Amino acid sequence: FPPAFQATPRNPIVLDLAYNFIEFPSLENRMKKDKKGFISRLWR
Amino acid sequence: MAPKPKDKLKPSPSSSQPPPAIEDLFTSLSKHIQRSDFEQAAKVADQVLSIAPGDEDAIRCKVVALIKDDRIEDALSMIQSSQKVPFDFGFFKAYCLYRQNKLDEALESLKRQEGNSATMLLESQILYRLGKMDACMDIYQKLQKSKIDSIEINSVAGLVASGRASEVQRMLDTLR
Repeated sequence: FPPAFQATPRNPIVLDLAYNFIEFPSLENRMKKDKKGFISRLWR
Repeated sequence: MAPKPKDKLKPSPSSSQPPPAIEDLFTSLSKHIQRSDFEQAAKVADQVLSIAPGDEDAIRCKVVALIKDDRIEDALSMIQSSQKVPFDFGFFKAYCLYRQNKLDEALESLKRQEGNSATMLLESQILYRLGKMDACMDIYQKLQKSKIDSIEINSVAGLVASGRASEVQRMLDTLR
């Protein structure tokens, strides 16, 4: 005593990896543009 | 009671006030998404849709927000009610059906999708649950080069479940 530890088989794990591909669309172009920020100056 | 400063998020009951601009709604929607407040995100997406029914970004945001809020049933009915709009929710629909364990329907919905990493991953997870291990492992074979995080975990599960545990080490070596 105590009895030795023993390895027991278990069901393999499966992750829901597809969940990571459920993504929101980019809303960048739908929001109000900042007033003449650095980026928008680059783009003109 | 003093008015709350952020009550522009709620639809205004008085008709004299103009509805909030769509850009403002999308800005607030984006903030909710960044905070992972999916319940609020779905509500704001609804507000956009009350002004602009059929707005693709808003519908997509709402469906994704519902899924991430674990409201799979609501997401599915949102997808069903959006059938008149021209964009394709096949992947989202298949994912929701998978979550409800309606595996054959999920596969059916995936069939019309173009094959990419996302659809292939989902298909392999469905096939795993269906016990179709050969088809499942075929997909993991094809996805080996696509650098998807943690994919080796599902590949190992597939090998073990199909009685090919002896191949696990070799598969892990090739992924390395």
